[in-house]
Amino acid sequence: MCNAMENAIVTTDLVKRYGARRALDGLTLAVPRFAVLGLVGPNGAGKTTWMMSVAGFLHLSSGTVNLLGSGPFDADVHRGRITILPQDSELPLESHPLELLVHYGLLQGLTQQEATRSAQAMLTEVHLGDRLNAPIRSLSHGMRKRVMIAQCFIGFPEVVLLDEPLSGLDPREVAHMRAFLTRRRGRQTIVISSHNLHDIEVMCDHIAFVEKGRTIRFATLEEVIGTDSSLVYGLTSEPGNLDALSAAVPGASFTFQKDTSELVCRYDPRQVTAEAINAKLLPVLLAQCGVRTVAQGSNLETEYLRTT
Amino acid sequence: MNGLKQVWRVACYEWFDALRSRRALVVLLLYMTAAVCNMYWSINLLHKLENELVTVLQLPPSEHAGVVSTTLWKSKPFQRMMKEVTQNDLVLKDITGKHPVELIYAWFAFFYTPLLVVLVAGNRIAEDLGSGAVRYMIFRISRSSWTIGKFIGQVLMIGFALVLSSVGAYAVAKYRLAGSGTPDLFLNMLEWSVRAWVFSFPYLGLAMGLSHLTKSGSKATVMGIFAIAICFVVSILLRHFTGDSGWRAYVPYLSLLVPEYHKMYMWRNALAPLVTGTVYLMTLGFCYLLAGYAVFRRRDV
Repeated sequence: MCNAMENAIVTTDLVKRYGARRALDGLTLAVPRFAVLGLVGPNGAGKTTWMMSVAGFLHLSSGTVNLLGSGPFDADVHRGRITILPQDSELPLESHPLELLVHYGLLQGLTQQEATRSAQAMLTEVHLGDRLNAPIRSLSHGMRKRVMIAQCFIGFPEVVLLDEPLSGLDPREVAHMRAFLTRRRGRQTIVISSHNLHDIEVMCDHIAFVEKGRTIRFATLEEVIGTDSSLVYGLTSEPGNLDALSAAVPGASFTFQKDTSELVCRYDPRQVTAEAINAKLLPVLLAQCGVRTVAQGSNLETEYLRTT
Repeated sequence: MNGLKQVWRVACYEWFDALRSRRALVVLLLYMTAAVCNMYWSINLLHKLENELVTVLQLPPSEHAGVVSTTLWKSKPFQRMMKEVTQNDLVLKDITGKHPVELIYAWFAFFYTPLLVVLVAGNRIAEDLGSGAVRYMIFRISRSSWTIGKFIGQVLMIGFALVLSSVGAYAVAKYRLAGSGTPDLFLNMLEWSVRAWVFSFPYLGLAMGLSHLTKSGSKATVMGIFAIAICFVVSILLRHFTGDSGWRAYVPYLSLLVPEYHKMYMWRNALAPLVTGTVYLMTLGFCYLLAGYAVFRRRDV
């Protein structure tokens, strides 16, 4: 673990009990400054509880939180420095996005001008520039979600906690938000909790696997997934000759998963591109069996299933 | 200073947000309609009473109510009725001679304000807790600033409702009264609405304090209505058991905790009882609110 100055958030031995059940059971985690951390784990692992504890929504049974080197969350100390997108929380329905975000900005300590500018910029960023003054009640679920994401980035806070930020967004908006969050790397400390491992793999540079209220693995993305990439081929039947495939793409390794009828090709992206592999491999494969799909594989998913 | 500014921002936003909420708007309109109707029917009744008095005293009859209000105050039956209503000689002395229309409005405002408070403000905090909207606030401001801001926002809202009701009631009075619907009467009615507003503080504190205890808006409203009913019953019991000796001598101290006990201060003319009443009522309001806040401060949101 790094020291508090290098870490934006340090939580040590967090325990949160609900009766006999422990939602957090000694969770220890240090989030480096300017990291984009992906919090990954099964339902009920404690990801949301951890975020809510860091933001001061929950009272911990035991353990310590050190936020930005100045102790546990305190509104007077951390105002405007940390924001959160909480799960299952509605915005005030009668409010309008622009006026609400300006209000939030003012509460964070921005001037009227700064708050207005920041709110307008963020709402435009999430493609709500034409709905600035529409009542939140009238917005669709996805639009409301985008307002919720926008409120997190008002006034450029140092730490942003996002609980399932991309759920409920349409595919175009998901791609846009992924790009938006990726651009924040190295400028803000962002923690993202998500079940979509592909999103996590694209956006994050650090990964924490959480299970049963504990951190079971914390590492950089590179450490978790290695330097290899993979391609996944959905086949109609098992290929007869894997050696022929290895001969077609030297340096790549192949695994056939019978249950899903998928062929996983692992390769070093520094040596060869996915396009080159497809050009060489597909003719050989098609000579042996039918190919239904070709997709970029997720190593994080493989690691997640192996680790948890 | 920063904290006060934040509280004020939350209060203004709360007031603004409450004003455009459908529920508050409906309650506000109902309250104003009730004030107007109450005034209309009361003036009818007053007119009837005056006509009877005119017959007895053989005065020239009038088509409008309020013309013989001075005479009305001199009549024994009316004085007896007022004594029964006020149950307090000092108050009776202070209100003697005031225009009956003014007193009708004052009675309405004092009687219905607790209900108005519960229906308008009783659910505000509980609904924010239930919907999770509070989570967007309490990492930006402290929980105490949020609670106090919401309270002040509702204080402004109730003040606005009372001023509106006084305007509505005055409009009816002006229409129905002959020559006595003067600007002075309006100012007096406005003053009563301010007194009723001060009287609303403890009920507001009570309703909003209770609102911290649940995440359901309707449950909070029901709890508020029950709390008001309990306050009324307790004040009646305390009045009944008040005595000069033994344990009954201590009952008045308990009465200090009930808003109804301080209402009579707000009917007085002199500044001293008015200030005393205002201080008591405000303190009581904050105490009730803080009791609810004390639970909220320790709870998970």
